[in-house]
Formats: sequence, structure tokens, C-alpha cells
Amino acid sequence: MANVSVAAEWQLLYNRYYRKPELYPMRWKHVDLARHKVAAAPFGGPVAVIRDDSKIVQLHAESALRKLRLFNSAGHPLADAVWRHPGGRLIGMSWNDDLTLVCVVQDGTIYRYDLHAQLVEPNISMGKECFEQNVADCAFWGNGVVCITEQNQLFCIPDFRNPKPVPLADPMIDEPPRCIAVIEPQYTMSGNVEVLLGVADDPVVLVVEEDGVQRLGEGLLRGPLQKMVVSRDGKWLASFTHDGRLLVTTSDLTGIIIERECESSLPPEQIAWCGMDAVLLYWDDMLLMMGPDGDPVHYLYDEPIILIPECDGVRILSNTSMEFLQRVPDSTVSIFTIGSTSPAALLYDALDHFDRRSAKADENLRLIKPSLPEAVEACVDASGHEFDVSRQRTLLRAASYGQAFCSNFQRDRIQEMCKILRVLNAVHSPEIDIPLSIQQYKLLSPSVLIGRLINAHRHLLALRMSEYLGMNQEVVIMHWACSKITASLSIPDATLLDILLDKLKLCKGISYAAVAAHADKNGRRKLAAMLVDHEPRSSKQVPLLLSIGEEDTALMKATESGDIDLVYLVLFHIWQKRQSLEFFGTIQARPLARDLFITYARCYKHEYLKDFFLSTGQLQDVAFLLWKESWEFVKNPMASKGSPLHGPRIKLIEKAQSLFAETKEHVFESKAAEEHAKLLRIQHELEVTTKQAIFVDSSISDTIRTCIVLGNHRAAMRVKTEFKVSEKRWYWLKVFALATIKDWVALEKFSKEKRPPIGYRPFVEACIEADEKAEAIKYIPKLADPRERAESYARIGLVKEAADAASQAKDGELLGRLKLTFAQNAAASSIFDTLRDRLSFPGAS
Amino acid sequence: MAQIPNLDNAPINLISIREQSQKELINILKNIRGKKCLVIDPKLGDSLSLIIQTSLLKEHGVELRHLSADHIQTDCTKVVYLVRSQPNLIRHICSNIHHDESKGLQREYHVYFVPRRTVVCEKVLEEEKLHNMVTIGEYPLYIVPMDEDVLSFELDLAYKECQVDGDTSSLWHIAKAIHKLEFSFGVIPNLRAKGKASVRVADILNRMQAEEPVNSSDMVMPEINTLILLDREVDMVTPLCSQLTYEGLLDEFLNIKNGSIELDASIMGLQQEGKKTKVPLNSTDKLFKEIRDLNFEVVVQILRQKATSMKQDYTEMTTTSQSVSELKDFVKKLNSLPEITRHINLAQHLTTFTSKPSFLGQLDMEHTIVESQSYDICFDYIEELIHKQEPLTTVLRLLILFSVTNSGLPKKHFDYLRRELLHSYGSEHITTLNNLEKAGLFKKQESRSNWLTIKRALQLVVEDTDTANPNDISYVFSGYAPLSIRLIQHAIRSGWRPVEEILKLLPGPHLETKRGAFSNSPSFDSLSGVSTGIAKVPDGRRALVLVVFVGGVTFAEISALRFLCSQEGMAYDLIIAATKIVDGQTLVETFMEKLG
Repeated sequence: MANVSVAAEWQLLYNRYYRKPELYPMRWKHVDLARHKVAAAPFGGPVAVIRDDSKIVQLHAESALRKLRLFNSAGHPLADAVWRHPGGRLIGMSWNDDLTLVCVVQDGTIYRYDLHAQLVEPNISMGKECFEQNVADCAFWGNGVVCITEQNQLFCIPDFRNPKPVPLADPMIDEPPRCIAVIEPQYTMSGNVEVLLGVADDPVVLVVEEDGVQRLGEGLLRGPLQKMVVSRDGKWLASFTHDGRLLVTTSDLTGIIIERECESSLPPEQIAWCGMDAVLLYWDDMLLMMGPDGDPVHYLYDEPIILIPECDGVRILSNTSMEFLQRVPDSTVSIFTIGSTSPAALLYDALDHFDRRSAKADENLRLIKPSLPEAVEACVDASGHEFDVSRQRTLLRAASYGQAFCSNFQRDRIQEMCKILRVLNAVHSPEIDIPLSIQQYKLLSPSVLIGRLINAHRHLLALRMSEYLGMNQEVVIMHWACSKITASLSIPDATLLDILLDKLKLCKGISYAAVAAHADKNGRRKLAAMLVDHEPRSSKQVPLLLSIGEEDTALMKATESGDIDLVYLVLFHIWQKRQSLEFFGTIQARPLARDLFITYARCYKHEYLKDFFLSTGQLQDVAFLLWKESWEFVKNPMASKGSPLHGPRIKLIEKAQSLFAETKEHVFESKAAEEHAKLLRIQHELEVTTKQAIFVDSSISDTIRTCIVLGNHRAAMRVKTEFKVSEKRWYWLKVFALATIKDWVALEKFSKEKRPPIGYRPFVEACIEADEKAEAIKYIPKLADPRERAESYARIGLVKEAADAASQAKDGELLGRLKLTFAQNAAASSIFDTLRDRLSFPGAS
Repeated sequence: MAQIPNLDNAPINLISIREQSQKELINILKNIRGKKCLVIDPKLGDSLSLIIQTSLLKEHGVELRHLSADHIQTDCTKVVYLVRSQPNLIRHICSNIHHDESKGLQREYHVYFVPRRTVVCEKVLEEEKLHNMVTIGEYPLYIVPMDEDVLSFELDLAYKECQVDGDTSSLWHIAKAIHKLEFSFGVIPNLRAKGKASVRVADILNRMQAEEPVNSSDMVMPEINTLILLDREVDMVTPLCSQLTYEGLLDEFLNIKNGSIELDASIMGLQQEGKKTKVPLNSTDKLFKEIRDLNFEVVVQILRQKATSMKQDYTEMTTTSQSVSELKDFVKKLNSLPEITRHINLAQHLTTFTSKPSFLGQLDMEHTIVESQSYDICFDYIEELIHKQEPLTTVLRLLILFSVTNSGLPKKHFDYLRRELLHSYGSEHITTLNNLEKAGLFKKQESRSNWLTIKRALQLVVEDTDTANPNDISYVFSGYAPLSIRLIQHAIRSGWRPVEEILKLLPGPHLETKRGAFSNSPSFDSLSGVSTGIAKVPDGRRALVLVVFVGGVTFAEISALRFLCSQEGMAYDLIIAATKIVDGQTLVETFMEKLG
């Protein structure tokens, strides 16, 4: 039976099954791992290979030049580059999370390569100490590296996205450590990396951090450790002791979990975690798998291998093949274990019977009826763990066969699994050769996978995949467009534009500006200009236009967009870049830009604004600025009132006046400035003569009032004539001023000087406002208009008189209003009623 | 007495908008760990008081301060500035930080710009060499719900900036705010705009929709049916007239600020002598909701009635025996007693202003100017105000009204009045005059005024207005129907087409268009017949119109719109948005600028 053959390949370790299928035969030629330094990326990533310069090897028919060669997981060559970097031996090499190959050489320089074996600039230096002391060893994690120098000093780069070397605390050891391991920052308490050192002749592990060294495992360890490795989650430490034991402890070395004798006391060449349940130890041609209990499993190899830990197992790379050693998933076990009678196994069997048209199929189904859903689930799950497409298909068929008989199974589970498997099979396929398992895929996430495909220039697959998974295709198309531009130096701009637009339009809302920026970076300014024209978002378009030197277009686009901030952006840019006169010319032609410039400059660049107005012949605006400046003298404490400093102030105003006079549209302003200067002079004189600093900066009317209040009628008269103050205004001012100082005698005298040009209303109002009824009564009868008389009487509460005057005016509306004013006063009210009746006016309220 | 208005009855979900703004602010505070000093620019603080309670801020370890040029005293090592993107405010921040530096204080500075960071502000920071010391963020507050049917963009200076400085930032802001609304409520299918700024807002809005489309397929039916944009420039007459509705008068005399007024506690019958008290004014107050939009005369009567009936009930209660249900009713009525008292106090306080002869004279003059029949009387009146040195805003208000209705004054009068103004109030006011001239509010007459034609064609002056039982919007100004609302009335009823000739007499272009998924609909021409087709939303609610005033709206206009809404046969609900709620005085004040 088929089931038997599947399980026959499994090995039992303690109570668990392990399997080690071959993923790919390696297609590379003439690669002997023994002669090379190798770095293989997890998640089925690429493999970097370079001749090991720490070993003496015989060169056969090859060049003496060392070459860094990159392969995919099936040994298909991706790219290569000649290695001719100075700086001594290559100490370590590893892929970081974004698939950049990081190479550390002896003098502490770090060279980085991308997937296409292109050097990523700039190179990173680990610092002066590393340069002087030489790097002896290094250890990597996802996005960082720690180096130890020959003088046993440690330096680390916590994150390659911000490559700054940080010195760690001095471990104070004389001999180089036997072994080194790191706990990634994400698993430590402090959030910083912790470096574990196994020290010679000392039964402890030193934990080195930025700010200190701890000794762990004292009393727990019986001798120095030879080799160690931290588990994926940073919780456990597997180590090989001096006396040939495998020790699994917590990573803080407070407790021993497992302690087992190994068959050799020589330290293994490689040690690795296989998932979380087993540890692999590799000596020359022997691979030993140790579980928590039971006999270890032996695998024999007659060629060198490299262990590549993954989240759910270990990939084993040899010269000829890539294998995947993995604990057999529970669902698979339940289906394929020899003699299994689990529902899933019976379901799988039922399908077989069904295919052979055997009635046994139905029998099987009846047998497992109650647990059919879990059987279906197991088949679905198991299919996900298979690399073999035909076996995936059989398992899925079994699942869908079973699903037809169960009512309460989540129907989209199978569909979902098919979707995932299609993606996995696509990346497993030849040429792509990424042997991701389902667990790795889920951990890596589809978007990162797509990112990796893009980086490997597998745009079409990435595009299809993101479309299939309903993800945004923008990233893919964007990257494609940029790569296309980089790779198409010989294609003319117009042709390339068409090619690009054809694809860019697939994705709504894609940033044409970003593509254009890339074109510009590649020295294709014209193409950039053509591309940016297609960008609908002005906020993206305008900055780019500026960066490619298209200022005028930028200004136009910014203005069109209505986004003032963008206009300012362009404005400041041009301002900085161009000569003043040229700048003035540019903005003068663009009203919005001009207005914004003026608004800004009015607050912050007064002098510059003056230059602008002068250059454009707007003399009146210069005049306004000067006039405004004249007030600065007031704010300035040095220009205190009465001091001779009023001179420059007046001069400034006079200058403004003459500028206004240049254009005939501004005669009024010119006159106003002239009067202002004149007024200031008179006010200064007044302050000197009266020895009171109360005149400067009051208005002409206020000056007159102040003079009258002070009793200086001659001065008041002088101001009046100097500024040709009309009689009307003069009367109001004088009357109110006299009322202010309650000089009722003078007021009366004034009223009798001559017949007032605007009647006696000012007198009445002034008295009423000063609440001097007796004075008011003197003037009310002199009011010409009976309505005014009525209202004035009403205001001082003389009901009878008010009513009389109103009836004289024959104004019903007025009567009504007056009545309302006296509403509370019943007697008053009746007076109005009788009057109104007598006049028989229509009622108004 | 919650100052934050209750928005439960809003025709669209304004609560979600407010909660979003709340959440964004809280998130900003949460992301800055530990105790911090939050420094808010005072104007923004006023707006925020309608969004979030201070207590909620304090829960997030915040010490509150107002931004000014003076340095801040706090023990916090983290200072968070929350400011509108205005360069002068950044100056304050700079002087704050420089002060800290000179004192050797080490602090962490965060500057959050409202609604977004701008190049100009960052330039100021850069010039002060502080841009590396502060962490810059944004708080995208574009819109503040003032009440269940009123939104404000909180752009106090929008009108002046557009008209005088040529700075149209506010138009982008308005478009952005509407676009944000569209993300919540769907693309508004119908758009009508009148005025240069409004048409520009429509243009920017369409651009935004093209750049960052609202996914219209998600929304089956847009919640807002029509957007009407109107420039303040189109109708500068209305805001300059004294508002005669209850809420309008409260604003004219007591300055409603962010939905509340502040006055002496004694006026409200409270015992604290000399103390100020805040009275919230929004629709949460049921009585206020009932009377806010009525003509003040009517309000006085209603309040009197309510008080008397209450007194009667009380006497009956004490003299005759009552059934339990009657008692219940009485108690219910008693619950409204505080509201009645509050508004009686306010109304009484208002009458002290409204009965002044100067106010009556001013009203009289406003009507004479609007009637536009007796030029000389108006001229003399204004001249006399200047001679008497009445408050400048009062004078300018009438003067602008006079100039606008006459489309400027003859050069001789223009120069004469300007000279008299400078003589009376000081030459520094030349800038104010210059601003007003640039904005076309007080200018030299260049063409004949068409105000009379407009007034007649739109029936702006209505004789025999019954303020108690109004049948027309003219009740809000006791006889003058606000031009702006007349236009909106037409826009809602029949679109622009029938009034096109009149629109041409008013400043700025007009626009009528369909948007979004509806833009290709062939029924463009039948748009004018809106009241039939799309007016009804399936669930029986009335369709919604968003009316946006670019440059400010007055309470009287809001009242008039609410009145339209309440009319029988009206097919729409209205929601009103404006750059700011203004009145004649605040509007004129934005143009006032002293040289010194």
C-alpha cells in the first residue's frame, strides 16, 4: 500500500518521527563545500559560496582569483563577482533579513552585496579598534553582527539599517573564547543584543552586553563549553561540553533541561537546533540527531554538509543535494503511520477504494462518520506539508471527498489551502527554487516573499502572486519600472516611456513621481520630466519637478493645485536658487506666488520686500512700508517722546509722502502722509510748551480735544486751521471737550458765539451724556426738528414735553416708540394714548 | 452644563467626526510617554473646547498651558506644542525654546501643526536654527462641529486673507475638509457654487477627488445630496446689518464664542459678585433650540407667556387639589424652570442694549441704506458718526454697507470721508482703509450700482413682515430678506438657471455641476427638477444639502436657513458649514490693521 512506502522513509527519535526528503539535487558544478566558505539564507534563500582563504587548498583548473558566487537553493547560479577586497582574510559571511550578504574581513571592514552580487555602497567600518586589533571571529543574527577582535574586545552593529558600530563591555579575558553565540535583541530583557562566550578553562558562560558582563552557569557547568547554539526563540541554549556531553539549558543558564552523553568528546564541527525538539551535531561524515530521550538517530554522509536551520527543521546542504530534515507533522503521522486506524487514515484509504470503485469506501466512511470533520482537517493540513505535488493532490482529494459527507466543515479551508499550495508550488518550481515549507511561508508572510521575488527580479511571478492573493500590486510594478529604467540605458526616452506607461497604468494610484525620481537618479532627466507629467498628485509632482530643475512648471502646477503650501515650497526653492532680479521677474508674472511672497516678506523680510517693490515700480507700496517703519521708532525705547529722535521718524514719513506723490493715483495717501508729518511736528511743539507728553500719536481730533481740555484754546484753534478742520467737526469736538471738563459756562458761551452750523444737537447730546438735565433743557427748545426735541425730552425723562413735541411732529410711529420707552410708567403711557387718539394715527408698536 | 454640544440629532453622523478628532488628539498624547506640558495656541484652544473636555486631556498626564511669547513655567521635561500653522505662533515657540536654552533647561520639544505642517512654518524654525531640536507632527483638524447642523472650519481670517493678501490657503483647507467629509459620507453628487472663491474650492475639490478618489463603489447612496458653495463676497450686505434674531442679537452684543457667552454672574442672577460666568448656547438647551432662530420681539413674548403660565400653574397647584398625573406634569414643567430663568435673564440683559436710542438709530440707518433711496441722509449720518468719534467698527460697518450698496462712493465723498476718518481716529488707520479698498468694501465708485435691481428682483425688502408668524426669511432682519439666503433658496428649489441673470449682476462666476459616479449621467439638464427625483432618500428621510459659506456666516443667516428647512414642502435637510461664524463687527475687525 502507498501508505507504507511513505512511512518507511521516516526515522523514529524517542516518540517522534522525522523525515529527510530531498528538495533539490544541486545543479552546481565543481563546488566542493569543504574548500569553501558558505553562507545560506534561511527561508529557502540563496547560497553564497567563496573559496575559503583560511585553508590551504589545491587549485585544479581554476583561476587563482577568488570569486564570490551566488546560487539559489537548487544550486542554480544567480550571479558572481570577483573578490579583490583589501583588508585581510574573510572572517564571516551571512545573509541578513533583507537578503543582503554581509561579509566581515579581518580589518573590520564590512562589504555588502545584493542578490545580484552588486556591492552595496557604502562599506561599513567596525571602527578603529577593530582595524588595529584585527577581527578574530564574528557572529550574526537577523539584522546585526558582533565581532570579537584578536585582543578579545567586542563590537557590534545592532541594526544594519543604521550601521553604527557600538563597543560592548570588555569581557576581560586573555585567551580567545572557545565558542560564541548571540541572543537577538528581540528576545533579551534589555532590548540590546547579548553575546554569550564560552571561555577556556572556566566553567562559566560570559554574557557581554553594552553596559556590563555577567558570569552565568557557575556551579551548573562542570567545565568550559566547546560549542553552543541558541534556539530560535532565544529561550534555550544547546551546548557541547569539554567532556563530550550535549547540554540543553535555559539561555540564562539557570537550569539543565537535558544532559546526554555523545559518542565523541571531540567538539562537533556544527551544532544546530532542528525545530524546537531536537539538536543536530555534525562531525566529519556523521550527523547525530539527539532528542530529549531515547536513542539518537545517526545519518552518515560521505561528503561535507552545511546545516541551515529553519523555523520548522534544518536544511542540509551537501555538494550534491539539498535535503530538509523535519519532524513529521502530526496530521501526516496520523494518515501515514503503518497500521494507522485514525479517521484521517481511513478517509485516505476510503478515497483509494472509491477510486477503485470498491464498496469498502462507503464502509470506511461509515466507520468514521462522527469524526469526519477532523479527518478532513487532517488531510487538508497534511497536504500543506507535502512538497510532492501529486501527494498534495491526493490528500486534497481525500479531504474534498470527505467534505462531501460532512455538513459542518468550514468549506473555505480547502480552498484556502489550495491557494497557499499554488503559491508554494510556484516558488518551489525550477528557476525560482525557493523551497519554502508552509510554516516558513506563514512566518515569512506573503508580502515579504513578494518583496524577495521582486529583489530577485522575478517581477512577473510577484505580480501574478500579488494579484492572486489580492494584495496591492503597486510595490511590484513600481520596482519593475525602476529596474526597467536601470536596465534600459540604450532604449530612447520616448520608447521607454511607452513601455513604462503601459504597465504603470495597471495600477491605479501608483506614484509616477517616484518612478520619475528614479529615472532622474539614473541620469534620465528628460524621461523623468515626461513621467512626472503623468503624476496626478501635485503634492508628489511638484517636489520632483523642483528636483529635476523644472521650476517654472513646478510653480505652474503648484498654483493650479490650489495648495498654498506647495506654492511656498516652489517659492522658497526659486528664491534660494536665483538672483534677486530674476526671482522678482519670475514671481511678478505669477499673481498668486507674488502675493504669497509679499505676505511672507511683509512679516520677515522687510528690506527685501522693499527691493522687490522698487524693482517692479510699486512705489506706493514702498511708501507704505516706510510709513509703517516710522512707527518702529515709537516702539524703540530710545525714541522716547520729546527727544530729538522724532526727526528721523518725520523724515521717514516725508520720504513716504514723496514716494506716494510719484503716482497720481496716490494723491490722497501723499496728502495724508504730509498731514501726519505736520501733525507730529505740532504735537512735539505742544509737548514741549505744555511739558506734558500726551500729544504724540493721538489723532488730529484728539489733539484738538486735548488742547481744549487743557484750556489751551489758541492751540486748538491753530490745529483747526492748520488742518482745515470743518466747522461741523469743530463744533462736535469742542462741545464734547467742554462737556468732559464740565465747563458749562464756556459751553453756553460757545453756543452763543454764533448760530452753530449743525444746530444745537451736539449741545443737547453732550449734556445728556454727561447726565446734566438742567444744562440739556437749555438747548432742547432750540432744536429745529420737533421729533428730535421729543426724543431728547424723552431721554431725560420729561414725558409731557416729549409728548407735546411728538404731537407737533405729527408722527405716530414716534409716539408709539416713546410710549414703549415709558412703558412702566402708567401715567406716561396714558398721556401718549390720549395724544395718539387725538391725532388718530394708525397704531404702531 | 456641557459646553460640548449634543450631536445626537444631527442629520449626518457628526459624532463620529468629533470622536475621530478626539481619538487623534489622544493618540498624539499617548505616543509621547509620561508627563508632558501641552501648550496650545489660545484660538485653537477655543476650537478644541468643542471637541474634547479638558479633564480627558488631564487623564493623559497633560499639564495645560496657553501659548504666548512669554516662556512656559512647568516641571515637565516634555513640551508638546499644538498650534495652527501660522508663522507668528512659531515665533512664540522659538522664543520659548531660546529662553529654555539660555536657562540651560534640557527639554524634549514636540510641535504638532494644525491641520498640517507647512513649509513656511518649518522655514521659521529653520531660520531660528531649531528645526533639529523639535519633533514635528500633524493634527489634522479641518472641521469642528459647532452644533447639530453647523460646522466650522475655524478660519477666522479666511475672508481677509483671500481678499486683501491674495492668500488662498483657506480655500484648499475648505476643499480638504469637504473631501474628508466625502470619505465618510460619499461623494456629493450635485454641486452649485457662486463666487470666485467658491468656484475655486469646487475646482480644488474635484482635483482632490481625481488625486485621491473616494471609493464610491463602497457607498450605495451618498449621504449628502447637494453641495452649495457661496462666497461672502457675493453678499456683504447681510453680515453688516444688525441681526434681530435672538441668537443673532446675543452674538451682536455679547459675542458668542464657540457656542457660549461669558458675562457677569450677576446678570444671570448668581450671587458671585464681579465674577464672570459662561453660558453655553447650543441645541442641547431645548428652550434655546426653540427660540434661538426667532425674532427677538417674539422671543420676549414667548418668554413672558412661559413665565406667566408657570406662575399660574403654581398658584393652581397651591390653591386647588391636583391629581397625580397633573402633579407629574407640573414637575415636568418645573424641570424646564432653570432654562426659562436663564433665558429671561439673558433677554432682559439684551433689552438694555436694544432699547438704546443709538441702536435704534443704527437700525433705522441700516434699513435706509438697504432701501437705497436716500443717499444724502445716509452720508450725513455717517459723517456725523465720524465727527462724534463713535467706535471705529460701528462707523466702518455702516460705511461699508453704504459703499457696497452704492458700489463705491463718488471720488469726492470717498476722499472726504477717508480724510475725516484719519483725522478723527489717527493716520495709522490708513492700512485699514487700504485693506478695505483692496477688498472692494470701501472704494471709489466706478460703475453704477445694481443693488436696486438685485433688491427688487430677489424681493429683498419685504413690507409688512409678520415677525411672529413669518412666512418668509425676511423676519430675521424685520423686513430685509438676506441676499445670501435668497440665493440659496433658489439654488435649492430650482438650481441657478432661473436666476442666472441676477447672478451675473453679483460678483464672481457661478457653477453648477454633477460629480462622482453621477457625472456621466445624461440627465444633466433635468437637474433643475431636483425636488422630484433624487430628493428622497429611500428610508424616508429628507435628502441633505450642505451649504458652505466661504468667508463666514452669521447666526441670522443660519436661522433663516433653519426657517427654510422647517417650511412645509421643503424636500431637504440642511447642514451649514462656514469658515467661521461671524457678525458685522468681527468681520470688520479682521480688516482693521494699524500701521504701528
